[in-house]
Amino acid sequence: MPGDGIPEDSLRRLGELGKADIVVGIPSYNNARTIGHVVRAVQAGLAKHFPQFTSVIVNSDGGSTDGTREAVLAAEVGDERLLMLSTPALPAHRLSLAYHGISGKGSAFRLVFQIAEALGARACAVADSDLRSITPEWIELLLRPVLYGGYDFVAPYYHRHKYDGTITNSIVYPLTRSLYGLRVRQPIGGDFGVSRAMLRRYLERPDWETDVARYGIDIWMTTIALAEGFRVCQSFLGAKLHDAKDPGSDLSAMLHQVVGSVFLLMQEYEPVWRARQGSQPADLFGFRFDVGLDPVAVNLERMLAALARGAQDLAEVWSLALEGETIETLRRLARDAVRDPAAFHLPDELWARIIFDFAGAHRSRPLERTHLLKSLTPLYLGRVASWVVEAEKLGAAEVEERIERLCLCFEERKPYLLARYAGQPGAAPALAETRPEARPREEGMEVSP
Amino acid sequence: MIATVQQVLEMALGRLIQTVTAFVPPLLAGLAILLSAFVIARLARWVLNRIFKGIVLDRFLYRSGISSLFDSSGRLRATRIVSTSAYWIILGAGALTALSAFDTELTTQMVATTVFLFPKLVTAGAILLAGVWLAQYLGRGALVWASNEGIPACRKLAAAVRVVVVFVAVVVAADHLNFARSVFLAAFILLVGGATLAASIAIGFGARGAAARCFEPRRDDELSEVERPVWHHL
Repeated sequence: MPGDGIPEDSLRRLGELGKADIVVGIPSYNNARTIGHVVRAVQAGLAKHFPQFTSVIVNSDGGSTDGTREAVLAAEVGDERLLMLSTPALPAHRLSLAYHGISGKGSAFRLVFQIAEALGARACAVADSDLRSITPEWIELLLRPVLYGGYDFVAPYYHRHKYDGTITNSIVYPLTRSLYGLRVRQPIGGDFGVSRAMLRRYLERPDWETDVARYGIDIWMTTIALAEGFRVCQSFLGAKLHDAKDPGSDLSAMLHQVVGSVFLLMQEYEPVWRARQGSQPADLFGFRFDVGLDPVAVNLERMLAALARGAQDLAEVWSLALEGETIETLRRLARDAVRDPAAFHLPDELWARIIFDFAGAHRSRPLERTHLLKSLTPLYLGRVASWVVEAEKLGAAEVEERIERLCLCFEERKPYLLARYAGQPGAAPALAETRPEARPREEGMEVSP
Repeated sequence: MIATVQQVLEMALGRLIQTVTAFVPPLLAGLAILLSAFVIARLARWVLNRIFKGIVLDRFLYRSGISSLFDSSGRLRATRIVSTSAYWIILGAGALTALSAFDTELTTQMVATTVFLFPKLVTAGAILLAGVWLAQYLGRGALVWASNEGIPACRKLAAAVRVVVVFVAVVVAADHLNFARSVFLAAFILLVGGATLAASIAIGFGARGAAARCFEPRRDDELSEVERPVWHHL
């Protein structure tokens, strides 16, 4: 029923608004510095590309103390002549509300979807509040496929620095693609467009109180769209430049919540992904162009040190998921990495096997899930370290080729996942012993765009 | 003199015959019962091994991690547990029946005590099993956390967590059985008191540095150097 679950104070505001065609949600928590720009871009996008529609911008806030909500309400596009509008635009309404329940991005999205449903919106888009590269065109690209193309879910497609989005590149994209058979390049991008049917489906789900309420929301939305047969496409948005993550936040929790959500959804949709083979490209809208990207600093030594520590201490936990031979290989790689970090290489085949083994163990050992997911951290850092070494001299196109190779490796080894998921040991694929040519490493590993 | 000696010998022989006639039949009966129990226990184990397929129980043992407590491969089968339990229960019951065949005050008391204690022993066993399982769970949690945080000697820390939890389980089980209650409780109080004192001292020393850092203004470049690098790429 429309309005169900919406806080009392928000319902009053909705009563005043009545109905809306488009809702754009912006989740936030202490983003006063950047959210004004995001709101202005959204407002301009709505005015320029959808002037005939009634629109509402909803800021769903998690209790900011830095004036985020005030910044949302104070943001103004400025001189409308700059937008070069051909017709006068209806001003977009703005709401800044505090969501209730578990703190996290997922809970913020839930309130946005509830408001969109209550207002009877035909389309809804969400955008992160720390974006620096968002433009009015993003709103068009996220909403037009829904409003005019009959799509239910629009995923973003960005250019990102080769060291940015490593959970996406090393785990979520290859795994999601090999499971559900559609190449959605940024399944946890954070900026999406959804149809009314799609958001209704999200709202009727019972799992909002899990990791979905936190960082698991993005992969949850994408997976449901892919697995339940909704029409999915991508829109090219250009560069994704966002604020550096808060160094005080527990970013390893993000890894566990995202990967945990992927694994949980794998269980639910097992019949779906068992039946799918290979992968198909997803429709991609928007004009593709090259962009400059912010450099991303990485610390190879610390990542390798984390892997070495894990190999030394965590064999007991890894053995819940991995076979003895795999653990031995990891130990050998970690030892070699200490001697020569620049030559470190964790092969794709081994990485795919690790992820598939963890997925199988996550299913068969429900009481050990937390330990399993947390013990994945050093392995993931090892994989990122290997990627940093390998991609150091690669250009954007070569990076994409390299990620494509990893995805194909995941797809080829899907029978191994099927066997592991069924509780069988599975025929371990042979490990490639080849290493990329060792390259001299530059000081500091700071890479210019 | 000879007559006296003869009388004593006859009396001794009589007592021996009386003892033998009093105890040999129960002994033989007891041995027969024990032997029968042994044969029945072996037979029961053999039969159960062949007919019992505890698929659901196997899954529970595997998923709960109980199987990995007793079998490092983590593949302990329910069939083995059921058949071995049946074997020992039948053998134990046979031993008690064999003892009761003697019908003496001592054996009667032993049988009564065992029967009386059996439920308590089972409960104590369950407490210990739960304690060992919890120790493994918490130990693994501590191990993963310490390793991810880069804390040195994390395996020792995990082992310490396990020892403490198992010790607590032993104290609870001993208390339940009313066995050396004061000894275990005293040791437990000493352990907890010592650990609390050590933790207080450690926190006191740690808090001094933390408080000092808290009052020092932190520069952005310090943050980027110290805290960002490992996760910055996310």
